[in-house]
Amino acid sequence: MSTRTSDGPALTRAAVRDRLDRVTDPELDRSIVALEYVDAIEIDGGNVGVDLTLPTAWCSPAFAWMMAVDARDEVESLPAVEEARITLHEHMHETEINRGVNERLSFAESFPDADGDIAAVRAELDEKARVARQYDAVEALLEAGLDPETIVELQVRDLEYADGADSVSIYVRDSSFAVTVPDAPIERYLEKARETNLVSAPDDRLFRTPEGDPIDPDSFELVHRRGRLAQVNMSSQGGICDGLREAREGRLEGTVDE
Amino acid sequence: MYQQNGEEIFVIDGHVHLWDATEENIKHQGGEEFIQCFYDYHTTFTPEERQWDIDEYRKYGADRMVEDLFGNAAADMAIFQPTYLTDFYDDGFNTTEQNAELATEHPERFVLNGTFDPRDGEEGLEYLEELHEKYEIPGVKLYTAEWRGDSKGWRLDDEEAFEFLQKCADLGIENVHPHKGPTIRPLNRDAFDVKDVDDAASSFPELNFIVEHVGLPRLDDFCWIATQETNVYGGLAVAAPFAQNRPGKFSEIMSELLWWLGEDRVIFGSDYAIWNPDWLVEEVMEAELTEEHRAEYGVEWDLETKKKVMGENIADLYDIDIEAKREAFQNDEISQQFDLEDHYASGEPAPADD
Repeated sequence: MSTRTSDGPALTRAAVRDRLDRVTDPELDRSIVALEYVDAIEIDGGNVGVDLTLPTAWCSPAFAWMMAVDARDEVESLPAVEEARITLHEHMHETEINRGVNERLSFAESFPDADGDIAAVRAELDEKARVARQYDAVEALLEAGLDPETIVELQVRDLEYADGADSVSIYVRDSSFAVTVPDAPIERYLEKARETNLVSAPDDRLFRTPEGDPIDPDSFELVHRRGRLAQVNMSSQGGICDGLREAREGRLEGTVDE
Repeated sequence: MYQQNGEEIFVIDGHVHLWDATEENIKHQGGEEFIQCFYDYHTTFTPEERQWDIDEYRKYGADRMVEDLFGNAAADMAIFQPTYLTDFYDDGFNTTEQNAELATEHPERFVLNGTFDPRDGEEGLEYLEELHEKYEIPGVKLYTAEWRGDSKGWRLDDEEAFEFLQKCADLGIENVHPHKGPTIRPLNRDAFDVKDVDDAASSFPELNFIVEHVGLPRLDDFCWIATQETNVYGGLAVAAPFAQNRPGKFSEIMSELLWWLGEDRVIFGSDYAIWNPDWLVEEVMEAELTEEHRAEYGVEWDLETKKKVMGENIADLYDIDIEAKREAFQNDEISQQFDLEDHYASGEPAPADD
């Protein structure tokens, strides 16, 4: 992904929206902007207000928390922003979440009764997102003509970016030749692979099993299928959330005059 | 029986309830939240003209249930899966005893399952024995996210749960149906995590684990577990109604299930009254896998597969002789009530639905 440079001194809604676009629903691995969770963005000098509504009032408080915190932090990463204020609406725990996020409390401070820790929940979902994204990256490599034996051996240092191009070159067989693939699926994958600490050093293997191990060429097909399955799981859950949101909106419209 | 291209498909609905969520029966706010949440799932995946209003949804009664399930022969048999929730509802949401009233009235049509909760300890084991003696229950429905006092759930791979599973094995209660599916307010999402099925299934190979709702939102974990444990099955409730308003998604989920589990381990259930077999069976039967998915996964949703998923697979688990049933239904009380004698005798289409 190229670094965006829209963060000028004059703060615009578009710039804020761009930042929010990087925040994902952790269960679906899709942008909260694309999912239409963002109702409004208000800018007042260096202060930015963001209004969010999730598909249901009982969306997991942990997920709601992650999205609200991530939205706050992304918006505040804009140099022109002094403070971001997040307001979650129509959620059973909106009071705790809005207070916690805006007063910079931890999840445990905001939900003293909750068991389990938010980092573990996030790590598990990040891992699933990584597996799902790996599927698209590997598909791109298969499409470019690489075989499974080559793909499982690839390392970080085999990637080479050309300036200004939307593609990445991948050197294989001891740099004896290179193929060129679109950079979007590769970058999207690497983002999560780095977040999950699987890929950092130049000689780290690029792709892993869902358990984080190197991939044996004999199990390439199975691992690839599991990536596809992770995608189907997310989009199925997305279908449920989406449906519940439509039902909820329908009901709200129905009662607007009452 | 469902008629398709001159063939008949015997339908066993693997997951039905007869519940009471009237305000008089609700004793905890959670009970109201629970039925409202159920209602959201109902409206989200039910065609608009078939949606119920919330009052009829709270309590629909035995007569309506019999008509919805069997009136137009959408289903031929059904399996009661109790959900107690006694911390939320005075008399429970739908207990084995409540379901038994209707099930024992039509024993040829209904299978009556029981339940256990390991948090009940010694008393719970005795209750399980009592259900076995009184009703000869062939299976149990388990609700791991159920609240009990301060506890917000339990795990199937706990030592206590293993004692109960051992008791099931000893008593010959072979079919275990854990709900591993979407969050239902106010229950805890993580208490429905499917992962605890893994150890339970490998520790009790003599039991069958029918995972209701195929683990959603953890379909990936579920399929992976089922690939390794051959006594794990997938119950389609929640996935099935995707056929109606998200056919592409239905195609994809079904393709995954058939690829990972195979056609012998996927089982239909409506989760009545969340969804109604009255229309749902037809939607699922007429659903198709997309060209793209058929090519990608190499699986088919054809007559052979439908016969297994819609009836034969669960008939095997519950020792139901479909041919004998069909013969018996040529003249049972329910066929008489709904003029279905000819339907079962000659394979004539069931009377048109209104």
